[in-house]
Amino acid sequence: MNKELEKLLFNPVRLKILSFLFSVESASFKKLMEVSDATKGNISIQIKKLEEAGCIKIKKKFDNNYPLTSCAITSKGKKSFEIFFQYLKSYEG
Amino acid sequence: MNSTDQIKLINDTINKTRENLKPLSFNLIFWGLFINVMSIIHYLFPSLIEQTDHSATIYWVGLPLLGMIYMTRWNIKIGKKQGYETIMSRTIRIIWTVFGFGWLLIALSSIRLEFAVAPMILFLLGLVLTMTGMIIKFKPLTIGGMVLFVFVFDVFIDPDQNYLIVNMIGVTLGLLIPGIMLSRMKTNE
Repeated sequence: MNKELEKLLFNPVRLKILSFLFSVESASFKKLMEVSDATKGNISIQIKKLEEAGCIKIKKKFDNNYPLTSCAITSKGKKSFEIFFQYLKSYEG
Repeated sequence: MNSTDQIKLINDTINKTRENLKPLSFNLIFWGLFINVMSIIHYLFPSLIEQTDHSATIYWVGLPLLGMIYMTRWNIKIGKKQGYETIMSRTIRIIWTVFGFGWLLIALSSIRLEFAVAPMILFLLGLVLTMTGMIIKFKPLTIGGMVLFVFVFDVFIDPDQNYLIVNMIGVTLGLLIPGIMLSRMKTNE
C-alpha cells in the first residue's frame, strides 16, 4: 500500500466517510456529519481532500434556495478502501 | 489508533447503514387502499363514473396521477430525511419509476385505442411486485406479485368478468396484504 493512501485514510473522519460511502450509493452532507461525529467545517475539509485524491465525487445542487451537497464513492475510492482494509487485516492481531 | 481500532471503526460505520423498508410498505398500503377505494366507488356508482364516453378513463387516469404526484413528493421528502441511498433502494426506485411510466403509457394509449387496461396494468404490477419482493427477499410480496399473474390469466380466459372485482382482489392480495405484513415486520432499523 502506498504512503499517500495510508496517510489519507489514517485520519478517522476520512476513514468513517469512506467506509460509509462504501456501503451506500450516495449520502448527504448532513448524514456524513451524523455518521462521522464531526463538525461542518471539518467535514468540508475532509471531503475536499477525499475528492482531490479521486476517492469520492461531490455533487452540489440547490433545493428551495438551500444548498444541498451529496457525496458518492468513486471506483478508485472503492479500490483504495479495499486495499486499505486488506492492509489493516494483515496487521490485525 | 491501531489496525484493530481502525477495523472496528470501519465495521461500526458500515453498520450505521440500514435498509429502511417502512417507506416501501407505506407505498404499498397507500396504493392498495387507493385502488380499492376507487374500485369500490366505481362498482357502487357506475352511472356516476361512466357518465360520458371518457369519464371513466379520466377517473382512472386523473386520480391515480394525483396519487402519483403526492407519493413522489412524499418519497422525495423521506429520502432527504434519511440522507442516503443504498443500491437496493435505488434499484427499487428505478423499477417503480419505470412502472409509473409504463402505467401512464398504457393508460394514455387506451384513450385512443380503446382496449381493456386492467389486465395489462395488473400484469405490469405483477412483474414489478415480484421483482421488488425478490430484491428485498420478502416472500409475501413475491407471492402477491405472482398471484396477480394468475388473475391476468383468469381475465384472458374469461374476458367478460367484472374487472373491478378482479382489481379489488388483485390489489388486496398483491399490494395491501404484503404492505401491511411488511410494515409490521421488524427490520434492522
